[in-house]
Amino acid sequence: MEYEAIIGLETHIQLNTETKIFCSCKADSWNDPPNTNICPVCTGLPGVLPVLNKAAVEKAVLLAHAMHSEIRPVSYFDRKNYFYPDLPKGYQISQYDQSLAHGGYLDVPMRDGEMRRVSIHKLHIEEDAGKTKNEQGRRLIDFNRCGVPLIEMVTGPDIRSAEEAAQYLIRLRQLLRWLGVSEADMEKGHLRCDANVSIRPKGADYLNPKTEIKNVNSIDAVRQAIETEIKRQIRAVEGGGKVEAWTLSWDEDSGTLSKMRSKETEADYRYFREPDLLPIHMDEAWKSEILAAFPELPLERRTRFMAEYGLPAYDADLLTAERSLSDYFEAAVSAYGGDPKRVSNWLLNDVMRMLNESGKTAGELRLTPQFLAEIIKMVDKGTVNTPTGKGLLEKTEETGKSPREIVEAEGLGQVSDSEAIRQICAQILADNPEQVARYRGGKTGLLGWFMGQVMRATRGKADPNTTRRILQELLDTSA
Amino acid sequence: MSTPIPFLPAHEIARQVRSGELSARQVTEAVLEHIARVDGIPGQLGGDPQAEPDKVHAFITLTAKRALTQAETVDARIAAGEDPGPLAGVPFTVKDIFTVEGTPSTAASRMLANFIAPYTATPVERLENAGAVMLGKVNLDEYTFGSSSESSAFQPSPRNPWNLDRVPGGSSGGSTAAVAAGEGALSLGTDTAGSIRQPAAFCGVVGVKPTYGRVSRYGLIAFGSSLDVPGPVARNVTDAALMLQVMAGADPHDSTAVTLPVPDYLSGLEKGVRGLRIGLSPDYFRITYPDPQDGSLREEALPEAIRTAVLKAAEALAAQGAEIVEDVPMPHTRYGIPAYFVISRVEAASNLHRFDGVKYGYRTSQPVADLREMYRKSRGEGFGVQPKLRILMGMYVSAAQYSEQYYNRALRIRTLIRRDFERVFDPAGAYRLDALLTPTTPTTAFPMQDVYGDSVLMQYADQLTVPANHAGIPGLSLPGGLDAEGLPLGIQLLGPDFSESTLFRIGRAYEKATAEEAWRATTPKIVHG
Repeated sequence: MEYEAIIGLETHIQLNTETKIFCSCKADSWNDPPNTNICPVCTGLPGVLPVLNKAAVEKAVLLAHAMHSEIRPVSYFDRKNYFYPDLPKGYQISQYDQSLAHGGYLDVPMRDGEMRRVSIHKLHIEEDAGKTKNEQGRRLIDFNRCGVPLIEMVTGPDIRSAEEAAQYLIRLRQLLRWLGVSEADMEKGHLRCDANVSIRPKGADYLNPKTEIKNVNSIDAVRQAIETEIKRQIRAVEGGGKVEAWTLSWDEDSGTLSKMRSKETEADYRYFREPDLLPIHMDEAWKSEILAAFPELPLERRTRFMAEYGLPAYDADLLTAERSLSDYFEAAVSAYGGDPKRVSNWLLNDVMRMLNESGKTAGELRLTPQFLAEIIKMVDKGTVNTPTGKGLLEKTEETGKSPREIVEAEGLGQVSDSEAIRQICAQILADNPEQVARYRGGKTGLLGWFMGQVMRATRGKADPNTTRRILQELLDTSA
Repeated sequence: MSTPIPFLPAHEIARQVRSGELSARQVTEAVLEHIARVDGIPGQLGGDPQAEPDKVHAFITLTAKRALTQAETVDARIAAGEDPGPLAGVPFTVKDIFTVEGTPSTAASRMLANFIAPYTATPVERLENAGAVMLGKVNLDEYTFGSSSESSAFQPSPRNPWNLDRVPGGSSGGSTAAVAAGEGALSLGTDTAGSIRQPAAFCGVVGVKPTYGRVSRYGLIAFGSSLDVPGPVARNVTDAALMLQVMAGADPHDSTAVTLPVPDYLSGLEKGVRGLRIGLSPDYFRITYPDPQDGSLREEALPEAIRTAVLKAAEALAAQGAEIVEDVPMPHTRYGIPAYFVISRVEAASNLHRFDGVKYGYRTSQPVADLREMYRKSRGEGFGVQPKLRILMGMYVSAAQYSEQYYNRALRIRTLIRRDFERVFDPAGAYRLDALLTPTTPTTAFPMQDVYGDSVLMQYADQLTVPANHAGIPGLSLPGGLDAEGLPLGIQLLGPDFSESTLFRIGRAYEKATAEEAWRATTPKIVHG
């Protein structure tokens, strides 16, 4: 029998706000020792109250808008009550029935060029809990992560394969970074994912019991874990067994799934409205203020790059992988004024290598889009030759000076004045009578050697075509 | 004979300290001496409830050294020509449900007996910044859960200064007993269902429940977060107004503290009541109890003395020019307690989750097999009966299968109670009231141990005060005379949101109108002892 997989993803997205969601502690503790970014509020001391960080709401609105979700004019916080040592208040402040946004979708291009629309069921704001770990029989708690703002986003059961799940996460990660709402680094837990997986005979219209896979910390792990689980479920069904609603944990090192617990009934979190926080009133004025700077999204931009600049899909895809790079490209195209493909080539071949080597984003380069355009134009005009132009990329980045200034200061301008080149060539011939004799004796291959001498003498500035013409003229005619 | 320092009004102390007639140190010393005479041993874990029955026992923690240091700071500022603030040198106490940096903040519970707060509650901070001198932390019902202060884990619990065999009321019983007995001119209390107004009535002092959000809750160990309000306890209306003036206002630590500007409560205080419309509602002159056998509701009339005190107050205000509006319907008043029983327990159960023995407070010393057992034993041993009852009830009525039937229904009742008030305070409505005049409590102070143990009956002591908490509106309880047994009677004024100025004005007019009455000259017995 042929089966199809039904997959839904539950993601937790850590927003990249400066401070935590309900207090003024630093939100990012990646490099900090345990329990250093904490205060009475985020450790739940008696008598403290949460105060909402507006920036978390604003970032959530950006994401909700990008997911085509409907943003509620009034939304509420609720308490989700449960006991756990790393949950200092004994409840998590979350949103339940009237969350910031609901509905929506993300279109995900698949490798075969098809587009898969993944619906969004839930999108809400909540606070993160701390971390516990067991060490030598003791349980240690780090409260640094308590109160870090999260968005929980749950998809509908619209994903049909492990590869589709991976593509969804790749596109979500791209979007989060594009919007500037999250660093979206799965290894650092900025983007966490649980996968709900079930199978059914292909074409069936019912849902079978699903398992939930937790602890998957990279896109590859999501792909592998789902793949493994689909195979396990098929084996179980084919063997006459059935799939039970377990919670499974993925072990990255061994590439295996293990059962964490059976999941017969939902826990009762006794949700009720958080009385310590006011509702969020997302009026039109605030919403339009937040969305005023809402960017064109990657897929839209990719399509436009192909249409507007005549770029091949390959270029458009690479250039829109990251917002800063695509902004850079457009700025350079506009400063350049010539063929966008030429800018794309310079960017994807040379500038990309600089980015990869330095770890900078395009927007952080001292080699601005205007400087890049200047360099390409100088090459086009023959003011400098191509190798000098490529060398200028690094020099501009190092000094922050304009390429034109560098060319002038260092005298890098291409020498295309044939009289000047003629003098240099004549001098080189005069200095190397033996080579001249050998050339004239038939070793015409020595022309390259003469070219090299001229280039060395002019530090690469001599226009190669002019040089070749003059050398040949001098060597051939004065015989 | 001039008034002894412990009984001077707060505004008089501040005036004399600021003008140099008295030093803050003198005041503090005099009040500390008085406390040493009348208060007896402070409440302590495992203390004997019957110890020293002739003392008030308002305190859990007396911070005498800290108080003297603060007083010296005030005096130094005056010597340097600075103004230490409108409460310069005024001695006050704090209900031990507020955190004060470096002092035990116990909530009168074994659970927090060892908890030293690392930060100070906003209202306390504001009082201290205004020059007031904190004497210490006073007793209350455990976590404020009660109406007699007897459920404190710190025994002996406070006694009523007017009759030491009676309860002071609760849960701010330590606050009202202290103020009535001259142990500080002011006290900071909290009111969730009447916890300031009911004990104020029992102890013959002024108690204010401000509008919800008028005073920051930051540092108040939460009971019912949507109902809790910090408020003043004082011996006269002017002092209460002065205290609220200092405490009220927005707070970056509490987003439910409203940003509305705080009016000048003192400037209009003496304006009188001419032209104000004050209502009387028959729904506040009867009390409804559930029958313990079949749960049916029984209605009872209020004791005659209480009824008479309110009607006499209405007459006195009418004589000052107020317009008295009778027969104002407040039909949902009697559902206040049942709805409160549900809402407050749900919030309390959740608010008590954090006391799990993991981070601070009590942790069992018994061996435990696992985390769950550590939770169970720590909470089982650390909490008294009241927190446990409230957790059980709160968990029950908020469970997924019951919340519609109980919690959501209670929220709807709450809205109806709010509408009762909106209707009669509506300036364009049929009643157009500036305030409602009601009794504060259905009884006077009851004997100690008389009601304690019957949690339902105890809760009904708040029947006339709890509607204001549901609605969020302000309430003011004033001493309204003494009954035949010499026990104080309380009258209550309720007004629309942020009408504290009007309530103070009416209260002050009533004080002046009754200034010459014999009961005004009577003081609690203990003060002479």
